[in-house]
Amino acid sequence: MTDVPWPSDGVTELAADVLVVGGGVAGCLAAIEALDAGATVLVADKAKFLERAGSVAGGVDQFMTPLNGGEEWDTPQHLMSFVPGLTDGLSDLDVAERAVHELPRVFQRLTDIGIDFTDPTTGEYFRTRAFGLPGEYHLNFDGSKFKYKLGRYTVGHGAKFLPRTMVTDLLTAPGGDRVVGAVGFNCRTGERYVIRAKAVVVSTGDINRISRNISGLPFDSWHFPYNTGDGHAMAFRSGARLTNMELVEATLTPLGFSTQGTNSYAGQGAYFLNRHGERFMFKYDPKGEKARRTILVDAVIEEVLAGNEPLYVDIRHLPAETLDDFVASLGIDRYTLPGYFEQRGLDIRKELLPIGISEMSIRRGGSYFRGSGLVVDTSAECNVTGLFGAGDCSMVSGGISAAAAMGAIAGRGAVERVQATEDELALDSSSLERALSWMEQPLVATTGRGWKDHEDRIRTLVTDYVGMRRTDRGMREARKLLATLAAEESGLEASSFHELMRTLEAKNIRLAAEVMTEAALHRTESRSGAAHRRLDHPETDDVTWKRSIVVSRAPEGGIRMEYMSETELPTAAAVGSGT
Amino acid sequence: MTTDSTWAAPQPDPTLHNPIKINPETCISCMICDYVCPGDVIYKQPRSKELPVIVFPDECWYCGLCEQACPADAITVVFPEEMLNPTTPVTSLLGVDPK
Repeated sequence: MTDVPWPSDGVTELAADVLVVGGGVAGCLAAIEALDAGATVLVADKAKFLERAGSVAGGVDQFMTPLNGGEEWDTPQHLMSFVPGLTDGLSDLDVAERAVHELPRVFQRLTDIGIDFTDPTTGEYFRTRAFGLPGEYHLNFDGSKFKYKLGRYTVGHGAKFLPRTMVTDLLTAPGGDRVVGAVGFNCRTGERYVIRAKAVVVSTGDINRISRNISGLPFDSWHFPYNTGDGHAMAFRSGARLTNMELVEATLTPLGFSTQGTNSYAGQGAYFLNRHGERFMFKYDPKGEKARRTILVDAVIEEVLAGNEPLYVDIRHLPAETLDDFVASLGIDRYTLPGYFEQRGLDIRKELLPIGISEMSIRRGGSYFRGSGLVVDTSAECNVTGLFGAGDCSMVSGGISAAAAMGAIAGRGAVERVQATEDELALDSSSLERALSWMEQPLVATTGRGWKDHEDRIRTLVTDYVGMRRTDRGMREARKLLATLAAEESGLEASSFHELMRTLEAKNIRLAAEVMTEAALHRTESRSGAAHRRLDHPETDDVTWKRSIVVSRAPEGGIRMEYMSETELPTAAAVGSGT
Repeated sequence: MTTDSTWAAPQPDPTLHNPIKINPETCISCMICDYVCPGDVIYKQPRSKELPVIVFPDECWYCGLCEQACPADAITVVFPEEMLNPTTPVTSLLGVDPK
């Protein structure tokens, strides 16, 4: 039986003009822009220090932006003209355009605060072409201290930081259509917070730990395993709209260690080979290894199904200098990767690197300038007033670049909302009671069932039935299994505040799986390579489906669905509903 | 706001692979690995000579932030057998037909 009392009966009350939930790249830029405009800002994150918060705290090696450098392709306008083709009908082009035009501006801001994007050996920008983009927009740089500097600047600029804090739910005004704050707790001390704010920016990243991988270790994930859709879930519970939740993203990864870095292999000129020694990518895309990630993953799946395993990355043909630089750079994006190769006894300069596919994340379905998450307008605000979304949890995402751009836009939008707000915002006390009760449920449950088994069951059903190859029959099975898990969820028990955090994360992952399943069932076509692949609807149907599915919580319970086109926000009546 | 209080961390399950090896000879008992770990995996009692404890080894991301940040070079990230010599076929990640 659980006996973990809160450290005190009371809660700690905090207040700021702008609350930023999640202190990664998007959250820091939101904070900086809001501070610039004179707002008070509180940033909450599960990490102990803002310098170390978010998915790129360990390092990052690319930033994508046009630089207006004189070449025809080097402008936001040129990049933007390719965005509709990249996003496959599943982005809001007005918001995407706003983000694209923000890129050079936010790049300049980052440079001004002391981030060096040049190649240390030449002092120049080193630019490469990747992911099917129409120019050399990716700057390779040593970003091992990028997040450290950004976090440090944000705090120095005046942001207050709330460490080791999982924000669990939003608070709303009477009527429910205005966000007025949030609640959370410290995962070590159990101190509870009720935070009042006139605007809340949710920048909690993508959704991981939702499907199985090769090693079978749930936290061995390509992307940050502590990003579990907490922001998506709290926004959804508060009535916010989410979109593109059926799109998944996996990557090519060293077999056994799910890591990022595919773009650097491809960008450097690596070959992807099958067991016959064939450069198989050209069978699937004229760009070969430089095709979009979702095409790469789809091709790997085809090769595996055709019995052409094992598959390899081959960099042996690259010139010695390139090899030196490349192998050295692998440790920037993922610090432990060189050590992994060493412990495995593998010299990738001389040997083939076996590759496979990673687990899936819910995150933009492999294409920049679209996203899986909160539907926002050109000020990054959601349909719930006062709630803003930025980064990988919002509907226009794309690595640290789009996160920075949308974060900056959200910060400015939040300040505009604060300025347009009357002094006192009423709090609906029932929203506070609900939030506190949901937060403490695992501490008072007494079933003896824990989050690990719950999460394993989610990963198994998602992998088997809602994963890389979907069918109506499979997803209906998943729907049943998810309903069972949902019914059991109130009994999950936590015996520490750390475990409370994991348990609430597991519940958010389950909700994400449910939303994903309903949207994927509804989309009776295949789209964007491996992002949404239906075995029973293998064709892409642009007539019916070149539009996004928007989900929100139905007032009567269950999931409400609407459509959204590239150029129109969701205004249509509900088109269907899930369970 | 409180700071992290001294906290009786639960003991790790000894059957789990320990991903973070700490050299007791060189560890200077500072707090840095505890502070930088993004997964709340490493616990170090403040103001104590005790070594940090890897309390939740199966929640490690293998990011190596602890190894990178350790001022005494006392940490090595050690990969488990499942990652070094994986045996799971890729086909098992590609979905099944419901029975």
